[in-house]
Amino acid sequence: MSLLEVDKINTLYGDSHVLFDLSIRVEQGEVVALLGRNGAGKTTTLRSIMGVLSPRSGHIRLDGKSIEGLPPSAIAGMGVQLVPEERAIFGGLTVEENLRIAALTAPNAWSYDRIYDVFPRLKERRKSAGRTLSGGEQQMLAIARALIRDARIILLDEPFEGLAPLIVRDLVEVSRNLAAEGRTMIVVEQNVAAALSFANRVYGLNNGHVVFEGTPADLNASPDLMRDFLGVGM
Amino acid sequence: MMRPRSGGLRGWLPELAVLCTLIVAPIVFPHLGFSTDLLTRVLNWGLIGLGFDILFGLTGLLSFGQAAFFGVGGFVSAYLLVSHTVDSVWLALAIGTVAAGLFGLLVGWFAVRRIGIYFTMITLAFGQMAYFIENSPLSEYTGGENGIPGVPVPVLGFGANAIRISAGMPMYILFAAIFFLGYVLARRIVGSPVGAILLAIKENTGRVAMLGHNVPAYKLTAFVIAALYAGLAGGLLGSFQSYMPPDAFSLETSGQLVVQTIVGGAGTLIGPLVGAAVWLWLRDNLQLIPGFAILWKLVLGIAFIILVIGLRRGICGEIAHWWNERRNLAAARAAEAKTETIEAHNTDPITKPVAPPKDVRLTLAEPTTGDSDIALEARSLARHYGGLKAVDGVSFKVRRGSIHAVIGPNGAGKSTLFKMLLDEVSPSSGEVLLFGEKVTGVGVSRAAQLGIAKSNQLNQLFPNLSVRKNLRIAALARRRGPMRFDLLRGAGSIPDVEEQIVSILGLLNLVERADTPAHILAYGEKRRLEIGMALATSPNVLLLDEPLAGMSPAERLATCAFIRDIGRSRTVVIVEHDLDAIFELAERITVLYEGRLLADGTADEIRRNPAVQDAYLGGLHAHEPA
Amino acid sequence: MPSWPVLISQAFNGLALGTLLALVSSGLTIILGTLGVLNFAHGALFAVGAYAAFVLLQYTSSFVLAIVVGCGFMLVLGFLLERIIIRYFYDRPHEDQILVTYGVGIVLVECVRAAFGGNAQRVPVPSWGQGATQMGFLIYPTYRLQLIAIIAGLLLSLYLVLYRTSMGLVVRAGIENPGMVGILGINVRRAFLLVFAIGVVAVGLAGMLYAPVVAVTPDMGANFMAQSFVVIVLGGLGSFPGAVIGGLIAGEIISLTSAFNSSYSEVMLYALMAVLLIMRPQGLFGSEGRA
Repeated sequence: MSLLEVDKINTLYGDSHVLFDLSIRVEQGEVVALLGRNGAGKTTTLRSIMGVLSPRSGHIRLDGKSIEGLPPSAIAGMGVQLVPEERAIFGGLTVEENLRIAALTAPNAWSYDRIYDVFPRLKERRKSAGRTLSGGEQQMLAIARALIRDARIILLDEPFEGLAPLIVRDLVEVSRNLAAEGRTMIVVEQNVAAALSFANRVYGLNNGHVVFEGTPADLNASPDLMRDFLGVGM
Repeated sequence: MMRPRSGGLRGWLPELAVLCTLIVAPIVFPHLGFSTDLLTRVLNWGLIGLGFDILFGLTGLLSFGQAAFFGVGGFVSAYLLVSHTVDSVWLALAIGTVAAGLFGLLVGWFAVRRIGIYFTMITLAFGQMAYFIENSPLSEYTGGENGIPGVPVPVLGFGANAIRISAGMPMYILFAAIFFLGYVLARRIVGSPVGAILLAIKENTGRVAMLGHNVPAYKLTAFVIAALYAGLAGGLLGSFQSYMPPDAFSLETSGQLVVQTIVGGAGTLIGPLVGAAVWLWLRDNLQLIPGFAILWKLVLGIAFIILVIGLRRGICGEIAHWWNERRNLAAARAAEAKTETIEAHNTDPITKPVAPPKDVRLTLAEPTTGDSDIALEARSLARHYGGLKAVDGVSFKVRRGSIHAVIGPNGAGKSTLFKMLLDEVSPSSGEVLLFGEKVTGVGVSRAAQLGIAKSNQLNQLFPNLSVRKNLRIAALARRRGPMRFDLLRGAGSIPDVEEQIVSILGLLNLVERADTPAHILAYGEKRRLEIGMALATSPNVLLLDEPLAGMSPAERLATCAFIRDIGRSRTVVIVEHDLDAIFELAERITVLYEGRLLADGTADEIRRNPAVQDAYLGGLHAHEPA
Repeated sequence: MPSWPVLISQAFNGLALGTLLALVSSGLTIILGTLGVLNFAHGALFAVGAYAAFVLLQYTSSFVLAIVVGCGFMLVLGFLLERIIIRYFYDRPHEDQILVTYGVGIVLVECVRAAFGGNAQRVPVPSWGQGATQMGFLIYPTYRLQLIAIIAGLLLSLYLVLYRTSMGLVVRAGIENPGMVGILGINVRRAFLLVFAIGVVAVGLAGMLYAPVVAVTPDMGANFMAQSFVVIVLGGLGSFPGAVIGGLIAGEIISLTSAFNSSYSEVMLYALMAVLLIMRPQGLFGSEGRA
């Protein structure tokens, strides 16, 4: 039994049908990358898993138990944690308060020190209000909020978007370490190389359908696929 | 709910029905516990309600300060008469009404700039301010808490033949006549282009502005109309009870109007009248039942809560809804069925192109100023969000009559750049010129009037209006200018606007769907309507933000053909992720990368440009982590 | 120009009114900020609080006990309102929220009227607040001085709850982004219930404490509600510091203006709001939050 199984979900976003009978599965300890052009349905998939959007039909199973239709708070309680694209840091709260609120309902919450070991930068800024953080620091904090909850599955939505290359390198490093420790993750990313550098398996999405499933090596071996479905390459 | 008249006798049906009811009422209703006096009061509330419904039911602006205008109209009229400044009641009523309108203009000027909760709080606060002004500083004129007694009744005719309109039946007839005229006028306003735009403002304020209508001015118009109706009703109240009470100004009065409108049905014009009948009937009749004297308002409050929770349309709204459902059920079912068919095919890769390529030649709108060959020019545009430089000094030129594309990997700043082109987002620095005229800083409505229109990445339709009406709001924009007070003509009575709508319906392949509400359309149809609305403003420059997003391959082909058609008659700037489509369509391409201009050239030049290839492949090589 | 003693005594009146408005407005503003609902029943709840004090003081001579029991009553009332009505309106348009809470206000006021009639009732000043206090050249009613201190204490505890407890953390985060609070595993709806109830207790408490200094009538809350709308427009929607500072400003403006010309006191408050709307539309402490 897979840890997470998305079974033929159909999700609508506003008035547009975004996901069509979309199915993916994620095994324990695996990092899965969802790749695809803008509007392919990657973010919608993550939001459906988190319960932010409710699929109109289909099932999402965690440990074999259906979780579709549950509110995000309940799904978070089961150990699924979305790190949203817009990061959604609470700007009026300090870094530490952002961490504290994340840890509030987590049974096995990490200590702040353990978080600061992963992101030393956050320790320096722990008393700063969220809105004063740089983009990179905000992203670190967003990931840290998922880590402090000791989430079983972390859903990373465009974690490297709009960040300077050096920061991307640091974050990729952190992601690789997490993957190496066996943390299950789903990552959506435009920066294909960065995502592939720590993913075990890849789904290619196009117009709300899965059009490719394979390993990073499979994908690298076929530039045509990249071009056709992912909109990279010329 | 509010339908403009469709010509012929049928279109006048509501007016006839109201007229008949007004004639029959004093004969029939007394048997139901309505005295003539009560009916007159109901009409007075109904008159304020006509204006309030244009503000709330039609435009969607919930004001809790209507008492201010009711009071101003009433006290100005009453003071003029009692102080013998003016001897004609009619003249005093007119002056009072105008005074209320002017006060409405002042309050509205503050209020319409804010939306939702703010709007309601501001109107309530100004209502309270008017109450306190009446009560203290002006008490010398208004009698403060005592009000103004001895307001005379109107007189019809002159000299010996003059008829005093006394209490009872004559007064009822006067009120009924005024209400009827007010109703006819309100119906005309609802059916006018202004009414159509007000309804569109309720549906999607942002889009109305983006099409080129001056939204604050229209909201202010609705606000002043409501104030005028309230002012007239206030003046009449003084004459009717020969006393102008200070509680006309109270918050209670504003609240009562709101409750009556909800109970009777907002958006129906006569709803407030019906609600007033319920309110006043309950008050007068429950008081007769022992033990209920003090409970009538409690009963009303509970009924009101239930209505708000469950039957939001109110009495008249539910009746009108049921009537329309019954009449249009078949059509609605058919429209939904068609949508399902289209959506089912959407996923089918072997659909035929949806819009057959057509050679439509909309007349090319003439540029307002300048005669240069450059339609649109961006000069070192930059937009910074905090430390993030979304767009950082981008310049490019779009040749008149060409299809020009802007591309770039995610996060390159395309959307922000696009929004700056029509002043939807103001740049941190730099400027945009449309045929040599500066667009930057004029605001999105003015930019639309200058001739630049955009179809959005996410649909911005008027969901409850039909396809035709969606297009009409767009087509009216540049034809009428940013603001016009054509309150009395029919919305659909401008021939060239209607011609424009018909030709665009054909172009969009939506002729059969013309009378289908936009929310029922299939996704692809909505996308086309989104583009069609921008096109219907007859722009000189048309901006398309990801027009192909979410479309099936077949729909993409059809839409590309459609864009090529448009490109024959006007300048098109397009942002799109589908590079194949772009290389096919665009004569010139601007490439953005991390907020900066990376390249600008013909499709072939861009295809061969190594820097562009690097940027797109950069995801694979440049950031390869160590 | 009024004399100094008059001005100073009016300044104290302003402080008393200002702290009261601050308490009423902070209840309104945390409900608005977190739940996004503008509670039009707030004025009615103020009156309900005052009547609760009126009733309870007939059964006990202890003012403190009456207040404590009254708070319990307001808490239950807040829970019931949220569970039965308000929670079904979180996803509805602002207009519907305003309408339904306005309806709730009507029902509450009419219930009070049905139970106690429309005539003004008197609530006695507690025994420890009788008489007047001599402060230099100024003699000021003791209970009003105590009122300032008590409400200041209450505002401080509300501040501590909001800024020093987990509950407050959730509220402050919820004001910014309730969706993300849910994604972090917190049952937002339950937090909303608590916030609504706290807001109701705050305004009820204001009504109870103020009852001994005014005539208690079913409609007494309407004007307070209108004033507290002005306060939160002044202070910025959803801002607790804004509600406190805005309340104090409003109280002083009303009182000090009436030292010069009492007929303009209320008018001045609304005029100030108009000016502020032009100069700083988001309010003193407002940001681009939910509006």
